[in-house]
Amino acid sequence: MMMTHRERILAVLNHKEPDRLPLDLGSAIATTMTAKAHERMRAYLGLPSEPPPATFSRRSSTVIPDEAILRRFDVDARPLILGNPDGRPDREVSPDAFVDEWGVTWARPEGGHFISTDGPFYHQDEPTREDLEKFPWPDPADPGRYRGLRERAKELHEKTDYAVMLNLGVGPVHQCQFVRGYGEWLEDLLINRAFAEGLMDRVVEIWVEITDRALEEAGDSVDLVMYGDDVGTQKGLLLRPELYRQVIKPRHKRMADCVKRHGKPILYHSCGSVYALVPDLIEVGIDALNPIQVTAAEMDTRRLKREFGRDLIFWGGINTQRVLPLGTPEEVREEVMRRIEDLAEGGGYVLCAVHNIQPEVPPENVVTMYEAAQEYGR
Amino acid sequence: MVDLKMLAEAVIRGDAKECARLTQEGLDNGLSPQVLLNDGLMAGMAVIGERFKCNDIYVPEVLIAARAMKAGMVILRPKLAETGAKPVGKVVAGTVKGDLHDIGKNIVCMMLEGAGFQVTDLGNDVAPERFIQAIKEQEAQIVGMSALLTTTMLNMKGTIEALKAAGLREKVRVMVGGAPVTQRFAEEIGADGYAENAAVAVEKAKELLAVH
Repeated sequence: MMMTHRERILAVLNHKEPDRLPLDLGSAIATTMTAKAHERMRAYLGLPSEPPPATFSRRSSTVIPDEAILRRFDVDARPLILGNPDGRPDREVSPDAFVDEWGVTWARPEGGHFISTDGPFYHQDEPTREDLEKFPWPDPADPGRYRGLRERAKELHEKTDYAVMLNLGVGPVHQCQFVRGYGEWLEDLLINRAFAEGLMDRVVEIWVEITDRALEEAGDSVDLVMYGDDVGTQKGLLLRPELYRQVIKPRHKRMADCVKRHGKPILYHSCGSVYALVPDLIEVGIDALNPIQVTAAEMDTRRLKREFGRDLIFWGGINTQRVLPLGTPEEVREEVMRRIEDLAEGGGYVLCAVHNIQPEVPPENVVTMYEAAQEYGR
Repeated sequence: MVDLKMLAEAVIRGDAKECARLTQEGLDNGLSPQVLLNDGLMAGMAVIGERFKCNDIYVPEVLIAARAMKAGMVILRPKLAETGAKPVGKVVAGTVKGDLHDIGKNIVCMMLEGAGFQVTDLGNDVAPERFIQAIKEQEAQIVGMSALLTTTMLNMKGTIEALKAAGLREKVRVMVGGAPVTQRFAEEIGADGYAENAAVAVEKAKELLAVH
Protein backbone atom coordinates (compact mmCIF):
# COMPACT_ATOMS: atom_id res chain seq x y z
CA MET A 1 0.00 0.00 0.00
CA MET A 2 1.31 3.43 -0.93
CA MET A 3 2.24 5.55 2.06
CA THR A 4 2.37 9.31 2.34
CA HIS A 5 5.79 10.83 2.87
CA ARG A 6 5.08 11.38 6.56
CA GLU A 7 3.74 7.86 7.05
CA ARG A 8 6.90 6.51 5.47
CA ILE A 9 9.18 8.34 7.92
CA LEU A 10 6.96 7.45 10.89
CA ALA A 11 6.89 3.80 9.83
CA VAL A 12 10.68 3.71 9.82
CA LEU A 13 10.85 5.47 13.19
CA ASN A 14 8.54 2.76 14.52
CA HIS A 15 10.78 0.04 13.11
CA LYS A 16 8.17 -0.95 10.55
CA GLU A 17 8.79 -1.67 6.90
CA PRO A 18 7.87 1.32 4.71
CA ASP A 19 6.46 1.02 1.18
CA ARG A 20 9.78 2.31 -0.12
CA LEU A 21 13.06 3.54 1.30
CA PRO A 22 12.58 7.05 2.71
CA LEU A 23 14.95 9.77 1.52
CA ASP A 24 16.21 12.96 3.05
CA LEU A 25 17.70 16.11 1.67
CA GLY A 26 17.48 19.38 3.53
CA SER A 27 15.27 18.46 6.46
CA ALA A 28 18.13 18.77 8.94
CA ILE A 29 21.04 21.06 9.46
CA ALA A 30 23.53 18.38 8.44
CA THR A 31 21.57 16.78 5.59
CA THR A 32 21.20 19.72 3.26
CA MET A 33 23.27 21.51 0.60
CA THR A 34 25.70 24.38 0.59
CA ALA A 35 24.55 27.43 -1.36
CA LYS A 36 27.08 26.74 -4.10
CA ALA A 37 26.11 23.09 -4.45
CA HIS A 38 22.48 24.22 -4.68
CA GLU A 39 23.32 26.75 -7.38
CA ARG A 40 25.11 24.04 -9.38
CA MET A 41 22.16 21.69 -8.92
CA ARG A 42 19.72 24.30 -10.22
CA ALA A 43 21.85 24.85 -13.30
CA TYR A 44 22.24 21.10 -13.86
CA LEU A 45 18.51 20.49 -13.63
CA GLY A 46 17.69 23.53 -15.76
CA LEU A 47 15.90 25.30 -12.92
CA PRO A 48 15.77 29.11 -12.71
CA SER A 49 18.65 30.65 -10.79
CA GLU A 50 16.33 33.08 -9.00
CA PRO A 51 15.06 33.76 -6.39
CA PRO A 52 17.87 33.02 -3.92
CA PRO A 53 17.02 30.00 -1.74
CA ALA A 54 16.26 30.45 1.96
CA THR A 55 19.26 30.17 4.23
CA PHE A 56 19.32 27.06 6.40
CA SER A 57 22.45 27.83 8.40
CA ARG A 58 24.51 30.93 7.91
CA ARG A 59 27.49 29.31 9.61
CA SER A 60 27.74 26.37 7.28
CA SER A 61 26.68 28.33 4.17
CA THR A 62 23.74 25.99 3.66
CA VAL A 63 20.31 26.56 2.15
CA ILE A 64 16.89 24.94 2.19
CA PRO A 65 16.73 23.30 -1.23
CA ASP A 66 14.09 24.38 -3.75
CA GLU A 67 10.84 22.46 -3.64
CA ALA A 68 11.45 21.61 -7.30
CA ILE A 69 14.62 19.76 -6.34
CA LEU A 70 13.07 18.06 -3.30
CA ARG A 71 10.07 16.88 -5.33
CA ARG A 72 12.23 15.63 -8.12
CA PHE A 73 14.08 13.40 -5.65
CA ASP A 74 10.83 12.66 -3.80
CA VAL A 75 12.29 13.66 -0.43
CA ASP A 76 10.14 12.69 2.54
CA ALA A 77 10.83 15.31 5.22
CA ARG A 78 10.95 19.09 5.53
CA PRO A 79 12.74 21.31 8.04
CA LEU A 80 11.32 23.55 10.73
CA ILE A 81 13.84 26.08 11.99
CA LEU A 82 13.78 28.42 14.98
CA GLY A 83 14.06 32.17 14.42
CA ASN A 84 16.91 34.44 15.45
CA PRO A 85 16.82 36.17 18.85
CA ASP A 86 15.49 39.76 18.78
CA GLY A 87 17.53 40.83 21.78
CA ARG A 88 20.90 39.78 20.50
CA PRO A 89 21.01 39.39 16.73
CA ASP A 90 24.33 38.52 15.06
CA ARG A 91 26.68 41.47 15.31
CA GLU A 92 28.44 41.97 12.00
CA VAL A 93 32.18 42.46 12.23
CA SER A 94 32.98 42.26 8.51
CA PRO A 95 31.48 40.51 5.48
CA ASP A 96 33.38 37.43 6.62
CA ALA A 97 32.92 37.60 10.39
CA PHE A 98 30.14 38.02 12.94
CA VAL A 99 29.57 37.56 16.65
CA ASP A 100 26.60 35.46 17.78
CA GLU A 101 24.40 35.71 20.88
CA TRP A 102 26.89 33.67 22.92
CA GLY A 103 29.67 36.12 22.16
CA VAL A 104 31.28 33.62 19.79
CA THR A 105 33.10 35.02 16.77
CA TRP A 106 32.48 33.19 13.52
CA ALA A 107 34.88 33.83 10.66
CA ARG A 108 35.33 32.34 7.24
CA PRO A 109 38.11 32.28 4.72
CA GLU A 110 37.23 33.66 1.30
CA GLY A 111 34.42 31.58 -0.16
CA GLY A 112 34.48 29.09 2.71
CA HIS A 113 32.44 28.10 5.76
CA PHE A 114 32.32 29.95 9.02
CA ILE A 115 34.02 28.39 11.97
CA SER A 116 34.25 29.60 15.54
CA THR A 117 37.49 31.49 16.00
CA ASP A 118 37.02 33.29 19.31
CA GLY A 119 34.69 33.22 22.29
CA PRO A 120 34.08 34.74 25.69
CA PHE A 121 36.15 32.18 27.62
CA TYR A 122 38.88 31.61 25.03
CA HIS A 123 41.73 33.50 26.59
CA GLN A 124 41.40 32.58 30.23
CA ASP A 125 44.00 30.29 31.68
CA GLU A 126 41.77 28.83 34.30
CA PRO A 127 38.20 30.14 34.15
CA THR A 128 36.04 29.47 37.21
CA ARG A 129 32.41 28.90 38.09
CA GLU A 130 32.28 32.52 39.26
CA ASP A 131 33.08 33.55 35.69
CA LEU A 132 30.00 31.61 34.64
CA GLU A 133 27.86 33.53 37.14
CA LYS A 134 28.95 36.83 35.67
CA PHE A 135 28.41 35.85 32.06
CA PRO A 136 25.43 37.35 30.17
CA TRP A 137 23.83 34.16 28.82
CA PRO A 138 21.48 34.08 25.82
CA ASP A 139 17.82 34.50 26.74
CA PRO A 140 15.93 31.28 26.02
CA ALA A 141 12.63 33.17 26.21
CA ASP A 142 13.57 35.64 23.45
CA PRO A 143 10.39 35.85 21.35
CA GLY A 144 12.33 36.09 18.10
CA ARG A 145 13.10 32.37 18.31
CA TYR A 146 9.43 31.36 18.29
CA ARG A 147 7.80 34.02 16.14
CA GLY A 148 5.75 32.36 13.43
CA LEU A 149 7.00 28.92 14.44
CA ARG A 150 3.55 27.54 15.16
CA GLU A 151 2.19 28.84 11.87
CA ARG A 152 5.07 27.50 9.81
CA ALA A 153 4.84 24.10 11.51
CA LYS A 154 1.08 23.96 11.05
CA GLU A 155 1.30 24.85 7.41
CA LEU A 156 3.85 22.11 6.77
CA HIS A 157 1.86 19.63 8.76
CA GLU A 158 -1.57 20.38 7.35
CA LYS A 159 -0.85 21.51 3.80
CA THR A 160 1.81 18.95 2.96
CA ASP A 161 2.23 15.28 3.76
CA TYR A 162 5.93 15.55 4.58
CA ALA A 163 7.40 14.64 7.95
CA VAL A 164 8.20 17.83 9.88
CA MET A 165 11.66 17.93 11.44
CA LEU A 166 12.25 20.49 14.17
CA ASN A 167 15.92 21.50 14.14
CA LEU A 168 17.32 22.41 17.55
CA GLY A 169 20.63 23.88 18.60
CA VAL A 170 23.82 21.94 19.23
CA GLY A 171 24.48 20.16 22.52
CA PRO A 172 26.99 20.92 25.26
CA VAL A 173 30.10 19.48 23.61
CA HIS A 174 29.86 21.78 20.64
CA GLN A 175 28.52 24.83 22.42
CA CYS A 176 31.16 24.66 25.14
CA GLN A 177 33.84 24.35 22.49
CA PHE A 178 32.45 27.41 20.73
CA VAL A 179 32.55 29.63 23.81
CA ARG A 180 35.72 28.22 25.39
CA GLY A 181 37.83 26.96 22.46
CA TYR A 182 37.84 23.48 21.01
CA GLY A 183 41.03 22.21 22.62
CA GLU A 184 40.78 24.33 25.74
CA TRP A 185 37.44 22.79 26.66
CA LEU A 186 38.75 19.28 26.13
CA GLU A 187 41.64 20.13 28.44
CA ASP A 188 39.19 21.59 30.99
CA LEU A 189 37.44 18.23 31.14
CA LEU A 190 40.63 16.79 32.60
CA ILE A 191 42.19 19.66 34.53
CA ASN A 192 39.38 22.13 35.26
CA ARG A 193 36.40 19.83 35.60
CA ALA A 194 34.32 22.11 37.80
CA PHE A 195 34.31 24.82 35.17
CA ALA A 196 33.75 22.38 32.31
CA GLU A 197 30.75 20.85 34.04
CA GLY A 198 29.36 24.20 35.14
CA LEU A 199 29.56 25.47 31.58
CA MET A 200 27.84 22.35 30.26
CA ASP A 201 25.04 22.76 32.78
CA ARG A 202 24.33 26.32 31.69
CA VAL A 203 24.31 25.28 28.05
CA VAL A 204 21.97 22.37 28.72
CA GLU A 205 19.60 24.50 30.85
CA ILE A 206 19.26 27.00 28.00
CA TRP A 207 18.84 24.22 25.45
CA VAL A 208 16.13 22.53 27.49
CA GLU A 209 14.17 25.74 27.98
CA ILE A 210 14.34 26.58 24.28
CA THR A 211 13.26 23.05 23.38
CA ASP A 212 10.36 23.13 25.86
CA ARG A 213 9.16 26.44 24.51
CA ALA A 214 9.52 25.41 20.86
CA LEU A 215 7.64 22.16 21.37
CA GLU A 216 4.92 23.81 23.46
CA GLU A 217 4.48 26.24 20.59
CA ALA A 218 4.67 23.91 17.62
CA GLY A 219 4.80 20.37 19.00
CA ASP A 220 1.40 19.40 17.59
CA SER A 221 2.79 19.76 14.10
CA VAL A 222 6.25 18.30 14.64
CA ASP A 223 7.01 14.69 13.71
CA LEU A 224 10.57 14.48 15.01
CA VAL A 225 13.35 16.66 16.36
CA MET A 226 16.98 16.81 15.39
CA TYR A 227 20.07 18.01 17.20
CA GLY A 228 23.76 17.27 17.16
CA ASP A 229 26.79 17.11 19.38
CA ASP A 230 29.93 15.67 17.79
CA VAL A 231 31.70 13.11 19.95
CA GLY A 232 33.55 11.23 17.21
CA THR A 233 36.61 11.81 15.06
CA GLN A 234 37.88 10.07 11.94
CA LYS A 235 39.99 7.63 13.99
CA GLY A 236 37.83 7.03 17.04
CA LEU A 237 35.94 8.73 19.83
CA LEU A 238 36.80 12.31 20.71
CA LEU A 239 37.26 11.35 24.33
CA ARG A 240 37.51 8.30 26.55
CA PRO A 241 34.21 6.41 26.65
CA GLU A 242 34.35 6.51 30.48
CA LEU A 243 34.68 10.29 30.35
CA TYR A 244 31.66 10.49 28.05
CA ARG A 245 29.64 8.31 30.41
CA GLN A 246 30.66 10.22 33.47
CA VAL A 247 30.39 13.79 32.28
CA ILE A 248 28.49 14.15 29.02
CA LYS A 249 26.01 11.31 29.00
CA PRO A 250 23.96 12.59 31.97
CA ARG A 251 23.58 15.93 30.20
CA HIS A 252 22.65 14.26 26.92
CA LYS A 253 20.08 12.31 28.90
CA ARG A 254 18.59 15.51 30.29
CA MET A 255 18.18 16.78 26.74
CA ALA A 256 16.64 13.57 25.45
CA ASP A 257 14.30 13.38 28.46
CA CYS A 258 13.06 16.85 27.64
CA VAL A 259 12.19 15.86 24.07
CA LYS A 260 10.60 12.63 25.28
CA ARG A 261 8.32 14.56 27.67
CA HIS A 262 6.85 16.02 24.51
CA GLY A 263 6.59 12.56 22.98
CA LYS A 264 8.81 13.20 19.99
CA PRO A 265 11.36 10.90 18.36
CA ILE A 266 14.96 12.11 18.30
CA LEU A 267 17.37 12.20 15.40
CA TYR A 268 20.80 12.71 16.93
CA HIS A 269 23.81 13.76 14.88
CA SER A 270 27.41 13.04 15.66
CA CYS A 271 30.09 12.98 13.04
CA GLY A 272 32.97 10.57 13.19
CA SER A 273 33.50 7.19 14.73
CA VAL A 274 30.84 6.68 17.41
CA TYR A 275 30.48 2.91 17.27
CA ALA A 276 31.81 2.51 20.81
CA LEU A 277 29.13 4.83 22.19
CA VAL A 278 26.08 3.55 20.32
CA PRO A 279 24.77 1.53 23.29
CA ASP A 280 25.08 4.67 25.43
CA LEU A 281 23.28 6.78 22.86
CA ILE A 282 20.46 4.25 22.76
CA GLU A 283 20.30 4.33 26.55
CA VAL A 284 20.19 8.13 26.47
CA GLY A 285 17.03 7.77 24.41
CA ILE A 286 17.85 8.65 20.83
CA ASP A 287 15.77 6.98 18.14
CA ALA A 288 17.81 7.67 15.03
CA LEU A 289 21.48 8.28 14.40
CA ASN A 290 22.93 10.59 11.78
CA PRO A 291 25.16 10.68 9.76
CA ILE A 292 26.76 7.17 9.97
CA GLN A 293 30.12 8.48 8.77
CA VAL A 294 31.07 5.37 6.88
CA THR A 295 34.67 6.40 6.23
CA ALA A 296 35.44 6.85 9.94
CA ALA A 297 36.95 4.02 11.97
CA GLU A 298 34.61 1.21 13.04
CA MET A 299 31.58 2.61 11.22
CA ASP A 300 30.93 -0.58 9.29
CA THR A 301 27.29 -0.33 8.28
CA ARG A 302 26.65 -4.05 8.18
CA ARG A 303 27.91 -4.53 11.73
CA LEU A 304 26.06 -1.46 13.01
CA LYS A 305 22.81 -2.81 11.61
CA ARG A 306 23.40 -6.29 12.95
CA GLU A 307 24.30 -5.11 16.43
CA PHE A 308 22.00 -2.13 16.88
CA GLY A 309 19.36 -2.30 14.16
CA ARG A 310 16.73 -3.47 16.61
CA ASP A 311 17.01 -0.28 18.66
CA LEU A 312 18.34 2.29 16.26
CA ILE A 313 17.32 3.95 12.99
CA PHE A 314 20.15 4.88 10.64
CA TRP A 315 19.93 8.23 8.85
CA GLY A 316 22.59 9.11 6.27
CA GLY A 317 25.30 6.70 5.20
CA ILE A 318 26.23 7.75 1.67
CA ASN A 319 30.00 8.31 1.58
CA THR A 320 30.57 12.03 1.56
CA GLN A 321 34.34 12.04 1.92
CA ARG A 322 35.27 10.04 -1.15
CA VAL A 323 32.46 8.74 -3.32
CA LEU A 324 30.24 11.80 -3.68
CA PRO A 325 32.96 14.37 -4.38
CA LEU A 326 35.47 12.18 -6.23
CA GLY A 327 33.65 9.06 -7.37
CA THR A 328 32.06 8.26 -10.72
CA PRO A 329 28.28 7.98 -11.03
CA GLU A 330 28.81 4.21 -11.23
CA GLU A 331 30.62 4.28 -7.88
CA VAL A 332 27.80 6.36 -6.42
CA ARG A 333 25.31 3.77 -7.60
CA GLU A 334 27.32 0.97 -6.02
CA GLU A 335 27.60 2.94 -2.79
CA VAL A 336 23.82 3.41 -2.66
CA MET A 337 23.20 -0.28 -3.32
CA ARG A 338 25.68 -1.27 -0.62
CA ARG A 339 24.19 0.95 2.07
CA ILE A 340 20.65 -0.11 1.24
CA GLU A 341 21.71 -3.73 1.45
CA ASP A 342 23.46 -3.14 4.76
CA LEU A 343 20.93 -0.91 6.47
CA ALA A 344 17.46 -1.03 4.98
CA GLU A 345 16.27 -4.52 5.81
CA GLY A 346 13.04 -4.46 7.79
CA GLY A 347 12.91 -0.66 7.65
CA GLY A 348 15.18 1.36 9.86
CA TYR A 349 17.01 3.38 7.24
CA VAL A 350 16.59 6.88 5.82
CA LEU A 351 19.05 7.53 3.02
CA CYS A 352 21.01 10.70 2.46
CA ALA A 353 24.60 11.86 2.17
CA VAL A 354 26.78 11.68 5.27
CA HIS A 355 26.96 15.46 5.37
CA ASN A 356 25.77 18.58 3.60
CA ILE A 357 26.43 18.45 -0.14
CA GLN A 358 29.60 20.45 -0.63
CA PRO A 359 30.35 22.82 -3.54
CA GLU A 360 32.70 20.46 -5.38
CA VAL A 361 30.29 17.51 -5.48
CA PRO A 362 29.20 17.02 -9.10
CA PRO A 363 25.41 17.50 -9.36
CA GLU A 364 25.36 14.39 -11.52
CA ASN A 365 26.52 12.34 -8.54
CA VAL A 366 23.77 13.77 -6.34
CA VAL A 367 21.12 13.02 -8.95
CA THR A 368 22.54 9.52 -9.38
CA MET A 369 22.41 8.98 -5.62
CA TYR A 370 18.68 9.79 -5.42
CA GLU A 371 17.77 7.98 -8.63
CA ALA A 372 19.62 4.87 -7.48
CA ALA A 373 17.95 5.12 -4.08
CA GLN A 374 14.55 5.28 -5.77
CA GLU A 375 15.40 2.35 -7.97
CA TYR A 376 16.90 0.05 -5.33
CA GLY A 377 14.85 1.25 -2.40
CA ARG A 378 11.63 -0.45 -3.46
CA MET B 1 69.28 13.37 41.27
CA VAL B 2 66.36 14.01 39.00
CA ASP B 3 64.55 10.98 37.88
CA LEU B 4 64.08 11.30 34.12
CA LYS B 5 61.38 8.72 34.36
CA MET B 6 59.45 11.03 36.66
CA LEU B 7 59.78 13.80 34.08
CA ALA B 8 58.47 11.52 31.35
CA GLU B 9 55.61 10.52 33.63
CA ALA B 10 54.75 14.14 34.33
CA VAL B 11 54.38 14.62 30.55
CA ILE B 12 52.23 11.50 30.27
CA ARG B 13 49.99 12.68 33.14
CA GLY B 14 49.79 16.15 31.62
CA ASP B 15 51.11 17.76 34.77
CA ALA B 16 52.58 21.01 33.42
CA LYS B 17 53.71 22.42 36.77
CA GLU B 18 55.56 19.27 37.74
CA CYS B 19 57.10 19.08 34.28
CA ALA B 20 58.49 22.61 34.56
CA ARG B 21 59.73 21.96 38.09
CA LEU B 22 61.50 18.71 37.19
CA THR B 23 63.05 20.21 34.05
CA GLN B 24 64.46 23.11 36.03
CA GLU B 25 65.66 20.79 38.76
CA GLY B 26 67.38 18.66 36.15
CA LEU B 27 69.25 21.62 34.73
CA ASP B 28 70.16 22.81 38.22
CA ASN B 29 71.60 19.38 38.94
CA GLY B 30 73.78 19.56 35.87
CA LEU B 31 71.86 17.30 33.49
CA SER B 32 72.32 18.30 29.88
CA PRO B 33 69.33 19.89 28.15
CA GLN B 34 69.58 17.27 25.43
CA VAL B 35 69.21 14.45 27.94
CA LEU B 36 66.25 16.12 29.62
CA LEU B 37 64.66 16.57 26.21
CA ASN B 38 65.37 13.10 24.85
CA ASP B 39 64.93 10.95 27.92
CA GLY B 40 62.36 13.10 29.72
CA LEU B 41 60.01 15.14 27.54
CA MET B 42 60.36 13.19 24.30
CA ALA B 43 60.22 9.86 26.09
CA GLY B 44 56.92 10.96 27.63
CA MET B 45 55.50 12.12 24.31
CA ALA B 46 56.54 8.86 22.66
CA VAL B 47 54.36 6.98 25.14
CA ILE B 48 51.51 9.44 24.49
CA GLY B 49 51.85 8.83 20.74
CA GLU B 50 51.72 5.06 21.16
CA ARG B 51 48.71 5.21 23.46
CA PHE B 52 46.89 7.64 21.19
CA LYS B 53 47.50 5.43 18.18
CA CYS B 54 45.81 2.46 19.78
CA ASN B 55 42.91 4.48 21.31
CA ASP B 56 44.14 3.92 24.83
CA ILE B 57 44.00 7.68 25.29
CA TYR B 58 42.14 10.36 23.35
CA VAL B 59 42.49 13.97 22.23
CA PRO B 60 42.08 15.55 25.71
CA GLU B 61 44.95 13.50 27.19
CA VAL B 62 47.16 14.33 24.20
CA LEU B 63 46.42 18.03 24.60
CA ILE B 64 47.34 18.18 28.27
CA ALA B 65 50.47 16.10 27.68
CA ALA B 66 51.55 18.51 24.96
CA ARG B 67 50.86 21.40 27.29
CA ALA B 68 53.08 19.79 29.92
CA MET B 69 55.81 19.14 27.38
CA LYS B 70 55.68 22.81 26.36
CA ALA B 71 56.09 23.90 29.96
CA GLY B 72 59.35 21.97 29.99
CA MET B 73 60.36 23.15 26.52
CA VAL B 74 60.06 26.81 27.50
CA ILE B 75 62.86 26.18 30.00
CA LEU B 76 64.93 23.94 27.75
CA ARG B 77 64.74 25.83 24.46
CA PRO B 78 67.25 28.62 25.29
CA LYS B 79 69.64 26.04 26.74
CA LEU B 80 69.35 23.84 23.67
CA ALA B 81 70.06 26.85 21.46
CA GLU B 82 73.20 27.59 23.50
CA THR B 83 74.50 24.08 22.98
CA GLY B 84 73.72 24.20 19.28
CA ALA B 85 71.58 21.06 19.43
CA LYS B 86 70.20 20.04 16.08
CA PRO B 87 66.54 19.05 15.58
CA VAL B 88 65.67 15.65 14.15
CA GLY B 89 64.29 17.45 11.12
CA LYS B 90 62.61 20.68 10.06
CA VAL B 91 58.94 20.74 9.26
CA VAL B 92 56.68 23.48 7.95
CA ALA B 93 52.99 22.74 8.53
CA GLY B 94 49.63 24.36 7.98
CA THR B 95 45.96 23.90 7.14
CA VAL B 96 45.50 24.60 3.45
CA LYS B 97 43.87 27.63 1.90
CA GLY B 98 40.15 28.01 2.47
CA ASP B 99 40.14 25.89 5.63
CA LEU B 100 40.21 27.20 9.20
CA HIS B 101 40.08 23.83 10.95
CA ASP B 102 43.23 23.33 12.92
CA ILE B 103 42.89 20.98 15.88
CA GLY B 104 44.16 17.95 13.97
CA LYS B 105 47.04 19.89 12.50
CA ASN B 106 47.89 21.27 15.95
CA ILE B 107 48.06 17.78 17.41
CA VAL B 108 50.34 16.64 14.59
CA CYS B 109 52.62 19.63 15.24
CA MET B 110 52.71 18.87 18.98
CA MET B 111 53.58 15.24 18.35
CA LEU B 112 56.32 16.18 15.88
CA GLU B 113 57.79 18.62 18.37
CA GLY B 114 57.54 15.96 21.00
CA ALA B 115 59.61 13.71 18.74
CA GLY B 116 62.36 16.29 18.34
CA PHE B 117 61.36 17.98 15.11
CA GLN B 118 61.56 21.73 14.67
CA VAL B 119 58.06 22.68 13.55
CA THR B 120 57.02 25.96 11.97
CA ASP B 121 53.25 26.08 12.29
CA LEU B 122 51.81 28.46 9.69
CA GLY B 123 48.31 28.22 11.16
CA ASN B 124 45.29 27.84 8.90
CA ASP B 125 44.03 29.16 5.54
CA VAL B 126 47.61 28.94 4.30
CA ALA B 127 48.08 29.92 0.67
CA PRO B 128 50.68 28.08 -1.45
CA GLU B 129 52.91 31.16 -1.48
CA ARG B 130 53.11 31.13 2.30
CA PHE B 131 54.11 27.47 2.36
CA ILE B 132 56.79 28.24 -0.24
CA GLN B 133 58.14 31.23 1.63
CA ALA B 134 58.34 29.33 4.91
CA ILE B 135 60.01 26.31 3.31
CA LYS B 136 62.69 28.60 1.93
CA GLU B 137 63.15 30.55 5.15
CA GLN B 138 63.29 27.51 7.38
CA GLU B 139 65.11 25.28 4.90
CA ALA B 140 62.42 22.77 5.75
CA GLN B 141 62.82 19.14 4.74
CA ILE B 142 59.13 18.35 5.13
CA VAL B 143 55.99 20.31 4.42
CA GLY B 144 52.82 19.06 6.08
CA MET B 145 49.38 20.02 4.78
CA SER B 146 46.08 19.44 6.52
CA ALA B 147 42.42 19.79 5.47
CA LEU B 148 39.12 18.88 7.07
CA LEU B 149 36.85 19.63 4.14
CA THR B 150 36.63 17.73 0.88
CA THR B 151 36.39 21.12 -0.80
CA THR B 152 39.68 22.40 0.57
CA MET B 153 41.43 19.03 0.39
CA LEU B 154 41.67 19.71 -3.34
CA ASN B 155 43.88 22.73 -2.59
CA MET B 156 46.63 20.33 -1.53
CA LYS B 157 47.11 19.46 -5.16
CA GLY B 158 47.39 23.13 -6.07
CA THR B 159 50.02 23.64 -3.39
CA ILE B 160 52.07 20.72 -4.71
CA GLU B 161 51.88 22.25 -8.18
CA ALA B 162 53.02 25.59 -6.77
CA LEU B 163 55.98 23.83 -5.14
CA LYS B 164 56.93 22.40 -8.51
CA ALA B 165 56.64 25.80 -10.17
CA ALA B 166 58.86 27.30 -7.49
CA GLY B 167 61.49 24.60 -8.06
CA LEU B 168 61.06 23.26 -4.53
CA ARG B 169 59.29 19.98 -5.11
CA GLU B 170 62.48 17.94 -5.26
CA LYS B 171 63.89 19.61 -2.16
CA VAL B 172 61.05 18.95 0.24
CA ARG B 173 59.00 15.91 1.15
CA VAL B 174 55.25 16.50 1.14
CA MET B 175 53.05 14.98 3.85
CA VAL B 176 49.27 15.26 3.85
CA GLY B 177 46.57 14.42 6.35
CA GLY B 178 43.17 15.39 7.68
CA ALA B 179 39.80 13.70 8.02
CA PRO B 180 38.88 13.14 4.34
CA VAL B 181 42.44 12.49 3.15
CA THR B 182 43.39 8.91 2.33
CA GLN B 183 46.48 7.09 1.10
CA ARG B 184 44.84 6.83 -2.29
CA PHE B 185 44.19 10.57 -2.44
CA ALA B 186 47.76 11.29 -1.31
CA GLU B 187 49.06 9.17 -4.17
CA GLU B 188 46.68 10.76 -6.66
CA ILE B 189 47.98 14.25 -5.91
CA GLY B 190 51.61 13.17 -5.79
CA ALA B 191 52.34 13.59 -2.07
CA ASP B 192 55.21 11.64 -0.52
CA GLY B 193 53.50 10.61 2.66
CA TYR B 194 50.10 10.24 4.26
CA ALA B 195 49.35 9.54 7.88
CA GLU B 196 45.95 8.63 9.25
CA ASN B 197 46.65 10.14 12.66
CA ALA B 198 49.18 12.25 14.53
CA ALA B 199 51.13 9.33 15.97
CA VAL B 200 51.57 7.75 12.56
CA ALA B 201 52.55 11.17 11.19
CA VAL B 202 55.63 11.13 13.41
CA GLU B 203 56.63 7.68 12.16
CA LYS B 204 56.04 8.78 8.59
CA ALA B 205 58.11 11.94 8.99
CA LYS B 206 61.01 9.92 10.43
CA GLU B 207 60.67 7.39 7.64
CA LEU B 208 60.76 10.10 4.97
CA LEU B 209 63.94 11.58 6.44
CA ALA B 210 65.38 8.16 7.28
CA VAL B 211 65.88 9.01 10.97
CA HIS B 212 65.21 6.70 13.87
